[in-house]
Parts: sequence; C-alpha cells; structure tokens
Amino acid sequence: MKKLVAALAAAAALYSFSASAQDYPTQPITIVVPFSAGGPTDTVTRLIAEPMGKALGQSIVIQNVTGAGGTVAAGQVAKAEADGYTVLMHHIGMSTAPTLYKNLPYNPLEDFATVGLVTEVPMTIIGRKDFEPNTLQELVDYAKANKEKVTYANAGIGAASHLCGMLFMEAIDTQLTTVPYQGTGPALTDLVGGQVDFMCDQTTNTTGQIKGGQVKAYAVTTGERLASLPDLPTTTEAGLDMQVSVWHGLYVPAGTPDDVVQKLTAALQTALKDQNVIDRFAELGTTPVAQERATPEAHTETLSSQTELWKPIIEAAGVSAN
Amino acid sequence: MDLLANLGLGFDTALTLNNILYCFVGVLLGTLVGVLPGIGPTGTVAILLPITFTFEPVTALIMLAGIYYGAQYGGSTTAILINLPGESSSAVTAIDGYEMAKQGRAGPALATAALGSFFAGSVATLLLAVAAPPLVNIALKFGSAEYFSLIVLGLIASVALAHGSIIKALAMIVLGLLLGMVGQDLYSGQPRFTFGFFELYNGINFVSVAVGVFGVAEILRNLESESTRTVLVSKVENLWLTKEDFRRIVSPILRGTGLGSILGVLPGGGHVLAAFASYSLEKKLSRNEAEFGKGAIEGVAGPESANNAAAQTSFIPLLTLGIPAHPVMALMIGAFIIHGITPGPNVLTDEPALFWGLIASMWIGNFLLVVLNLPLIGIWVKMLTIPYRMLFPAIVAFACIGTYSIGLNAFDIYAIVVLAIIGYVLIKLDCEPAPLLLGFVLGPLLEEHLRRAMIISRGDPMTFIERPISAGLLAVAALAIVLSLLPSIRKKREEVFVEED
Amino acid sequence: MTSQKSMKDLLAGLIFIGFGLAFGYASLTYEIGTALRMGPGYFPLILSGVILLLGVVIFVQSLAAGPDEIPLGRVPWFGLILLTGGLIFFGVTVRGLGLAPSLFVATFMSAFASERTSVVGAFLLATALTAICILIFIWALGLSLAVTGPWLRF
Repeated sequence: MKKLVAALAAAAALYSFSASAQDYPTQPITIVVPFSAGGPTDTVTRLIAEPMGKALGQSIVIQNVTGAGGTVAAGQVAKAEADGYTVLMHHIGMSTAPTLYKNLPYNPLEDFATVGLVTEVPMTIIGRKDFEPNTLQELVDYAKANKEKVTYANAGIGAASHLCGMLFMEAIDTQLTTVPYQGTGPALTDLVGGQVDFMCDQTTNTTGQIKGGQVKAYAVTTGERLASLPDLPTTTEAGLDMQVSVWHGLYVPAGTPDDVVQKLTAALQTALKDQNVIDRFAELGTTPVAQERATPEAHTETLSSQTELWKPIIEAAGVSAN
Repeated sequence: MDLLANLGLGFDTALTLNNILYCFVGVLLGTLVGVLPGIGPTGTVAILLPITFTFEPVTALIMLAGIYYGAQYGGSTTAILINLPGESSSAVTAIDGYEMAKQGRAGPALATAALGSFFAGSVATLLLAVAAPPLVNIALKFGSAEYFSLIVLGLIASVALAHGSIIKALAMIVLGLLLGMVGQDLYSGQPRFTFGFFELYNGINFVSVAVGVFGVAEILRNLESESTRTVLVSKVENLWLTKEDFRRIVSPILRGTGLGSILGVLPGGGHVLAAFASYSLEKKLSRNEAEFGKGAIEGVAGPESANNAAAQTSFIPLLTLGIPAHPVMALMIGAFIIHGITPGPNVLTDEPALFWGLIASMWIGNFLLVVLNLPLIGIWVKMLTIPYRMLFPAIVAFACIGTYSIGLNAFDIYAIVVLAIIGYVLIKLDCEPAPLLLGFVLGPLLEEHLRRAMIISRGDPMTFIERPISAGLLAVAALAIVLSLLPSIRKKREEVFVEED
Repeated sequence: MTSQKSMKDLLAGLIFIGFGLAFGYASLTYEIGTALRMGPGYFPLILSGVILLLGVVIFVQSLAAGPDEIPLGRVPWFGLILLTGGLIFFGVTVRGLGLAPSLFVATFMSAFASERTSVVGAFLLATALTAICILIFIWALGLSLAVTGPWLRF
C-alpha cells in the first residue's frame, strides 16, 4: 500500500512538472466546448482538434462544459491558468453574452486572448411547408402586413436562431411573435409540423429538411450562395439588407505568452488547410475561414465589432437574462 | 413486397460479421457503463460517442444504437439493485424493482426487465420498419396545446404512483414541479431560484435529483439500521421466474409495449411519460393493487417494456425527419453529421442500406442484449451480497464521478447534497420520492407547453378545447378523475349497506 | 411520541408549508404577468400556492390522526455529516486538486460514515475505490478529467 501511495505521489509530481513556454506543448491540451457533445460547435471542434494536435505534436482533449448559453464554460476558462493548456472554443455567443447577461463574471474582450477564427456557418431563413409567402420578398411583405400574427420560432435565449430573428425583425422594422423553444430540435419539429410560421437557423441544422422538402427555404444569410443549396438566393440578392453567420473562434485566458498563442494560431491555420476538415465542413454547409482570418487580429476585430453590433439590437428587443 | 426487400437489405448490412461484432461491443459497453451509478443512458452515450468516430458510418451508428439500449438496460439494473435510476423512465422501475431486490427477488426482477425489454424492443422495431411515416405524421399533429393536455393527463394518472397517502404524493409532485422551475426562464431569460449562480441557469440536473433523493437518501436510511443489518439482502431466492411470475407479467408486457410504442413517437416529451403511464395503468388494472410499491412484478414488467418500446420508436422522428426527440437522439444527430450524413427525411432514400441496416441492427441488438444479460443476472445479484458498508462508498464514488462528468459542473454535486437531505427527511416522514421525480421531469414541460400554446394562440385559452386531440386528452383526464373518485363513493355506499345488514 | 397526533404528518405539513412560502416569496420578485400572458413568476407562484394549501391540509389532518404506527426513529447524524461532507469536498476540490486526491478524501469520509468501518478499513476502501475509479473512468473510458489538478502543481 505504501508503495502505491509513493508511486501515486511520484506520478503526480511528474505530471505537474510544468515547462516553460518555449517547449510548449509538453502535455495534452484541453479544448473546452461550451455545449454538449454532438452539437454543431462540438462537431466543428472535434473536426479541427485532430489535425491541430498533429501540428502541435500533442494530443488534444475535448471537454464539454455546459450551462447558461456557454457562459459557464467561458467563465471557467477565463479563470484557468494562462499557460495555453486550456483553450476555449466559442461562437457568436461570445459577443452577445455581455448584453444578454448583465452580471457576466468575465469580460470577453479583456479576460481572453484570441487565437483565431475557425469558421463562419451561414444561416437559412425557412418557413413551414404550407406557409403563404414563396419568396423572401413575399415573406417580408406578409410579415409587415400581418405583424404579430406571424410566429417566429427560435431555439432559446441567445441561440443563433434567436439572434437571427431579432436581426430580421430589425431589418424589416416590424415586431412579430417570437416563440422560444428548448433547443433547435423541438423548434424544427413544430416548424415541420406547421405549428409555427418560420425560423432562421444554421445550415448544419436545416440543410436536411430543406433538401427533403419538409420546409420552405427563403434565403441564406451570407454574401454568397451555398454549394450545398445552389438554388437558394442570398438575402442581399433577395433584396433584404441583413447578413449574419455563426462564427466560431478559439480563445485562451488573457496573459497567455505570445509565443504560445502563435503556436496555437499556426496549428489552427494548418488544421484549416486539412482536406478532411474542408470536406467535412462542406457537408456542414460551411467552409474554413481564409488563412488571414484565422489570426488573433482578425478574431479580435470580429469579436469587438460583433459586440457593438448586437448590443443595440438585443437591448431594443428588451431581452436580458437577468 | 417492398418491406421484405428492404428488411433483406437491412439484415444484409447488419449481419456482416463486423457489424454484429460492433453491435455486440456497443451493447456490452452500454450495459457496463450504464450500470455504473449516476450514469444514465444520456451520460453513457455522451461518454462513448467519441469511440465511434473512427468507424464506418453504418458501423458507428449500429454501435451507437447498441450503446443506447445497452445503457438503458444497464440503468434499469442499477435502479433495481441499488435504487438508483439513471433516467426518469427507470425511476418507475426502481419503485417495485428495488422492493423485489430487498425481498431477495432481484433475479426475477432483472429477468423480467430483460424479457420485457426484448419483447417490447422487437415489436417496436417492427413498428418502426412498417409504419414510421404514418406515425410521424400523427406526431406532427401534436403542438404545444396537445402536449400540455397530454402532460396534464399524465400527472393525474401518476397519483397512482403513490402507495401511501395520496395528498402527500400530490404535495411531492408539486415540490418536484417547483424544483423543475429552477433555472433560466425560457421565455423571458429571467433566472429563477438560482441565488445568482450561473451554474444553476440550466436548472438542476436530473441525475443529481435521482442520485440525491433515491441513491443517497436510501443510503442514509440504511445507515439508520446498520447495527441490525450488515448486507442489503440477506437471502437470495431463485434467480429465474416461476410459472406464476410468467403468468403475471404477460399482459403488463403487452400493454406496456403498446403504450410505449405510441408515446415514444411523440418528440415533445412522450417517451418520458411512457414508463409512468404504464405503471399507473398496471396498478389500476391489477387485482393485487395493494402489492404495488411493495414488490409487485407487474410494476417492473409494464414500465420496463414501455420504456424500451419508447426508446425504439423515439428513433422515428430522428430517422424520418432528422429531428431529435431527446438528448440521446441529439447526440445521434451529431454522430450522423460527424460521419458526413445529413440527418433528415432524405436518409431513407439516399442511404437505404444505412437506414434499414440500423433498423435491422436494433432487433439484433435487442436480441444480443437479452443473450448477454440473462447470464449476467447471477453476477449482478451476487453484488448484493457484498457487505453494505463496502457497497455504499462505492455507490457514492461512482455517483460523484458520473454526475460530475456530464457537464463538469460542481453544482451538480452540491445539488445531490441538498436533494439528499430534502429527500431523506421527506422519506422519513412517509413521503415517497417517485412522484417528486415525475413532477421534476414534467414540470418544465408543463409550463413550457402551456405558455407556448398561449403565445401561439395569442392568449386564447380556448385553444386547448378547440383543437380536437387536445380536447380528447383533457376529456380522458376528466374521466380519470371521475373514475378515481368513484371507488371511494362506491365504498361508502357499500359501508352503508353493510350497516343496514 | 406520547402525544395523540401523527408527528410525521405534522412535520411533513410544516415542511411543505415552508417550501410553499419560500418559493412563493421568491416568485413574487419575478414578473407575474396575467393568465393570458404569463410572466416568469406566474407558474411558480400558482404552484407555491398549491403546495402551501396541501401542506396546510396535511398539517390539519395530522392533528386529528392517531399516533404514527412506526415511530420516527433515529437520524444517523454522524453518517449524514460525513457523507454529505464528502460530497461537498469532492465538488469543491475536484477541479483544483484533481480527481485522485479529491475522490480519495470523499470516499474515505463516506466509508468512515459507517459505524462498522474503522479508520484503517476506510483508508483501504478509499484507496481501492479511487484506484478502481481512475482505472474505469480515466484509463478505460478516457474521460477528460485531470487526475491531479493545478493546486498540486509547483
């Protein structure tokens, strides 16, 4: 028994031996995913983790820390040691949290250093199969005419579908009836079942239903058409000035040494060139960001401009989590 | 016959040596992990999901499905042996299953669960193959108004869960409903009863409630009488079912299968109700109603069959619409995506081998499950003869890690402590924990659907009566109340007659 | 209990009344709304009212009911404190100390909660269980939990 204890102690001492930033990484790196395993953000993370680990010469471990729209995970990483071994994957929610949650225990812009953007997942505006309007313009006219008789489904406070809906209502300057759901699954079920009129969600969640003809698709919310849905016009083409995508990025706690961040950025850029990553992203209806966007500078720029963009929209909609 | 050709294709795919092997590995791993206290099916699938990433899509999904029902069965095993349900559905199994175990009849209880699950799984899988599209069309008719009425009916029927005071059971249901309100309000974002902790925004974890009010509270109960009892079960009677047992479980299994198959198709909370509904039904129909809650084998047979049937038919919304009915199905969607398959109605036409292979493998998986588990019963029952003072720290250790590993949230552990104390005190005061758990699971759904139905109808409560399915369900609920009052009226009348005689 | 009333029901009634008051009080701080446009406080407030009412009924009935058939019995205070203390310790330290030390202390405390387990016995049991758990969860299942945490790094 004594031997075992001694061995345990020795192992612990070995394990906890920390190395300087130059040798980074000397132990497995943890990427914290703020949502549960199997969701879109988790999928994106797992796809890039393997090639990133290869580039860094260390294995990457994925941890799913769930709760409060991803703020529990972000709070944990903000408090973690700034040694580059704890990395956070987060999406657009990073820029909306400060407005949605008034007592947020961290500041996204100050408590984190950015590593780089990963991908920008487009969103699609879709309606129930028997919904009257057939094009985006008809939808806008219909919404303006019927106002709060029109129901818009979303996947809960702070979800991408919630943000897209707020943006849509702002763009057409009309208040519709918002129907929140506990996640995308139930919202999509009710849309397919014709219980609600329309919604807007990530291509990851909607491509299958659009292709299967179970919902009517109106537009994709990015500047370019999608390879997976080439017939679907963009919002701009359809005459609506509104663009939104669910961007994902990697973060480390503020104070992480610059050369460590550089190594992570380089690994991310390598991973985004990986053919398997490109292929799988395409199946998700998205692409890796361009190399110059997978940098701390571009990421910080996106984070701060998005934080500015969402603040007035969320405040105007009068939603707040506390 | 299209169906035969399709099933032929399915079995062709599923019966390759490789796929059988991985189906078996999935079922085995699922059972072994699911049997750990504090880890339910959702936890098991989440933990084992990454293992499947490296396989071929068909193989991966077959294995994952195997893991899922393996875990489901493993969860029932823990519910029966140590009163620790891993998922809401097995909470019902714990009521009579654990009583049976304490009486030395863990063997028959486990065998009933295995046989009932196998039968229900086979029937529900067939249903899935034959009637998935029409069933899903019915499911899509269910909007929030219908779900609200269904849950009301479920809550009224569930009073049968109690075997003691009905009014205490009602109070426990309401307490469960209130505990279910903890967390961020879906509609306004307002955090409720969270004391300002972000960690509580997602609400209290189901596993924490189950481990607290069932597992740890039960350990405290056992510590009371430690000086007189050293092992949980002193005598173990036969491992297998008697003829009488067989006679008693046949109808409950049939009814449970039917009920579970139907409720499982409903993505908005139907599968949650399956086991509870089956238990209530069996108790009402049984001639030995008094035995329920004290180790009635029907109370294991019905809910276990319902539970497993619902587990199979809950694949229907996933496979036909690409929409997940519950967290496990959401994980499956993730697996589809990782393997480059876009889940949705096109899976059936684009990937027929995968679709039918998965269905065929479900049947094979259920078969392997029963083959695997019947011999294991002896080992599980042996575990009960471990001295209790060694068994319970193990339960605590596994429950700690299991609960923590789900979301890496320490609050899930603190919730266990609070709920264990509440549960222990209330159980000591003869209040039963099962109704509390039911309320906890259904509470958020009840509020969510009620408020959503009102938003969609724009504040018109008539929506519940104007929609025919909803009205029908509410009528049945009203009938159930009348029927439950009748016996007491009749009894009083009989008493009067007795006096006259 | 010498009094001619059901102590169990009396206490249960009081507890439910307590829950009703506590939840009801908290619900009042949220927006209530109306029956047609419910706010976040509406549903919990109604439930609090119901449980309060049920609590009162149980309380009143207890005064009329006879004494309990089975008395309340003792509370294993020692076990209760050690068991819950162990769980809390685990929750507080699992991130900082890591799984192995945190789990070891937690299982040691809960093992010692049994009157029949000695210090040595609890120590052996805790060591064995910690080893088994690490084997199962870290080695076999590959959970991403640190075996030793940052508090132990130098």
